[in-house]
Amino acid sequence: MSTMSLEPMPGRTDEMIVNMGPQHPATHGVLRVVLGLEGERITRAVPHIGYLHRNHEKIEEARTYPMVIAYTDRMDYVSGTQNELPFVLAVEDMLGIEVPDRAKKIRTMFFELYRLASHLVWMGTAMLDLGAISPFLYTFWDREIILGIVERTAGARMLPNYYTFGGVRRDVHPDFFKDVADFLDHMERRMVDYEHLVLESPVVHARTIGVGVLSKERAIARGVSGPVLRASGVAYDVRKAFPYDAYPDVEFEIPTSPDGDTYARFWVRFQEMYQSIRILRQLVEITPKTGPYKGKAPARIKPPAGERYRAVENSRGELGVLVVSDGTDKPYRVKHRGAAFSNLQIVPDLFVGAKFSDAIAILSSLDPVFGEIDR
Amino acid sequence: MSQIPIPEDQHFRPRLIGYNPARSRPWLERTVYSAYVFVFWAIIVGTYAGVPALFGALGWDSGWGFVLMRAVQVVMLFLLSAVIALLLILVLRKYLGKVQERYGPMHYGPAGGIQTIFDALKLLAKEDFVPAAADVLTFRLAPAITFVASFAMFAVIPFATGWVLADTNVALIYLIAVSTLSAYGVLLGGVSSGNKWALIGALRAGAQMVSYEIPLALVFLTVAVWSGSLSLGGIVDAQMGLWNVIPLALPFVLYVIASLAELKHIPFDFPEAESELIAGYNVEYSGMSFAFFFLAEFVELFLLPALIVILFFGGWHGPLFGLEPGSLAAGALESLYFTLKTAVWVWIFLWIRATLPRYRDDQLMEFAWKAMIPLALFGLVLAAYLRLIWR
Amino acid sequence: MELRFKKERLFDEDVYTVHPDDYRALCEQLKQEGYDYPRSVSGIDMGYGLRVTLHLTRMRDLAKVAVRTDVSYENPVVASVTDLWPGVEWYEREAYDMLGIRFRGHPDLRRILLEEEWELHPLLKRYDTGGYPIPGWEPGPWPDPEPWVPPPPPEPEGEADAAEGGEAK
Repeated sequence: MSTMSLEPMPGRTDEMIVNMGPQHPATHGVLRVVLGLEGERITRAVPHIGYLHRNHEKIEEARTYPMVIAYTDRMDYVSGTQNELPFVLAVEDMLGIEVPDRAKKIRTMFFELYRLASHLVWMGTAMLDLGAISPFLYTFWDREIILGIVERTAGARMLPNYYTFGGVRRDVHPDFFKDVADFLDHMERRMVDYEHLVLESPVVHARTIGVGVLSKERAIARGVSGPVLRASGVAYDVRKAFPYDAYPDVEFEIPTSPDGDTYARFWVRFQEMYQSIRILRQLVEITPKTGPYKGKAPARIKPPAGERYRAVENSRGELGVLVVSDGTDKPYRVKHRGAAFSNLQIVPDLFVGAKFSDAIAILSSLDPVFGEIDR
Repeated sequence: MSQIPIPEDQHFRPRLIGYNPARSRPWLERTVYSAYVFVFWAIIVGTYAGVPALFGALGWDSGWGFVLMRAVQVVMLFLLSAVIALLLILVLRKYLGKVQERYGPMHYGPAGGIQTIFDALKLLAKEDFVPAAADVLTFRLAPAITFVASFAMFAVIPFATGWVLADTNVALIYLIAVSTLSAYGVLLGGVSSGNKWALIGALRAGAQMVSYEIPLALVFLTVAVWSGSLSLGGIVDAQMGLWNVIPLALPFVLYVIASLAELKHIPFDFPEAESELIAGYNVEYSGMSFAFFFLAEFVELFLLPALIVILFFGGWHGPLFGLEPGSLAAGALESLYFTLKTAVWVWIFLWIRATLPRYRDDQLMEFAWKAMIPLALFGLVLAAYLRLIWR
Repeated sequence: MELRFKKERLFDEDVYTVHPDDYRALCEQLKQEGYDYPRSVSGIDMGYGLRVTLHLTRMRDLAKVAVRTDVSYENPVVASVTDLWPGVEWYEREAYDMLGIRFRGHPDLRRILLEEEWELHPLLKRYDTGGYPIPGWEPGPWPDPEPWVPPPPPEPEGEADAAEGGEAK
């Protein structure tokens, strides 16, 4: 790999070209950014990705449709079943499979549980980047509870391979709703503490307010989605724009913030956690405790030839999948559109002119997970 | 996909392994800490009372005998700093564990008490290499400079009445001079590493330490003005009726903040920001050289709270229960008070470390130059004025 | 100027299939109509050529549109729309990286997920495994997994257990 993609500018001797390499405690994964630093100020930034490229798309062309679901899990590995849903929805659209109402609600419950889990990871690692070492452990403890709930039903913690065409693979554990209700009580108490630790901390304010401002037009033009877009003032959420599963049945709001800086992104993710708790509370009430967990689906999944693009609202933004089928039982082409892939494109825009530690704060607020970027 | 029926007693019930504070046996932990503090105190008593008594009994009080006595005392202080490092590293890890709802080290020794010895052995066993692009002499010298600068502060710290190695009457000026030397060690270490990240870390560290030494020195001067003496023993004696923290509250706050910055402690640990620069100026160091930097930091973690106690909290003052001041027993009790007060302040520093995020460097500098120096000057003038009208 | 395209409605979005020379003009026209949010650019190897699919959304009424172009293997050149929607920059780089589609006018067309000196474009159908061409190799049929046979019902126990009463299994 070419070591430097930045040539020193002729005549400038005070610019230092530094490699913030793939192995770095603060890049949330394997990101390499080649920075031109002038003292503490960044003048140029070139991100390089691809260190986690596992060529999912080629592999999935040789697997049958139910096998592909297991591969999609591995993209955004902190969000578990959220990655399975766009593929499952796309194929259900192409085949016209009906999903029973209870299965939709169960899928939505898992979806929101994983959104909470993913935002907890984000909060812990963002505070770790900013220097506070303790919130990391608190958030990961809460995440342990979520993963334990998922494990009792689906059998695995992080990558459960739980959704399938028509619903979910097995019925929920008898204690599932009680577990979720207990967890929500615990979480609401913890959110008060997290708000004091994170949102009201003067050090966090000093580090994040006014840092890395992304304007609304630039955000839309760059194809940014998720909390980053909503923190720039655009109320676009795939759950409201193109609803799926049980989202039409629950009430929730989309938090937006007009500021567009790092603190706004922090704040929007916090509010999303509150909204997730609200959605989960409603779903615990309204999900029928008995009933079908899977609708009728053909034994051999063979969608008719054609293509379908379907997107869901991941914890990071719009996770989309383009499924191209040629009528056989293996997909012809599966293209995953990772939310963080688009979000990471604004890194050169935001880094230039910022100080180096601002760059760390910005990167932590973008919340990239490299499984979904590199696939 | 069909459900494969599994009988109920073979259902997998995942067990959430939680944090149970009782499992770390707090009584055992407290016993271990008390044992370390006792050893620490015993070494102090031995160094400052035992060795002079021994040499006095042998008649080697003057000339070369005196020099030998001081040398023995310095060696015992090395031992003391080793014990400090052992204890403080252990306390840091255990205390961070308590704050973060987890157990700290648990396996080596009772409740993890011997863990640090194994850390030291690990560091000794690591390969102590010099990077190819580094300037060898400076690279090897820098940790030594830092450690010597920190260790040299021991010379003037009084642990009890008369229990001090060098009873100079310019102790404060000596402290200012010596603590500045540790900035040299950091700068040289980072710049000579041949690594751009270490360079950035070293420059940040140098800028931060130099900036925060000015309020530090100003607070030293304030205390000297208020107490009327530059020697630490004199400052403690002047606090007989009233601890300095009450009239000098503002300089006290400034001194705590400046100490945190000198220690490169969170919220000012920018030079060794672990999540940004990996380890800042000591990223290329490994093995014993790294151990020296580490040791220097933990020795200062003891020394700067000790200075806070001396300057503001009355040093070793405490109820003597009728013991005759100046005797061995009174000295032992006073040094125990000193140790306990310092322990409280070390705990506060660790508490801050566990809780806060870190500030950005330009915010640090802005704070030092625009806020702390004017306030320190104001405090100095106020203290001088108060001294004039009260005494 | 008359653009050569065909418009159809699939599921819930308008799909334009356009001649590669008019791709750029159609995209500019769509930008004029207000489609400002680029969602994805995908490259697909269709077997007869390479296809570029661009998915757009209009923020004000959430209308979705997809634009498709087919180019041949020998001359896989398509105009780049990075200056219209900067968010497609990395997607076009990925299409170049994976399939070899070159985008004319792209500011920085180099490989993104693979190393910069890599030679092949792995997602092309002519490579069966791992991106390396295996001449004359035909993929075999996927073997059927062993069918799951339910376990036999438990043997009826002797006299001693029958006296305990019927416990439902």
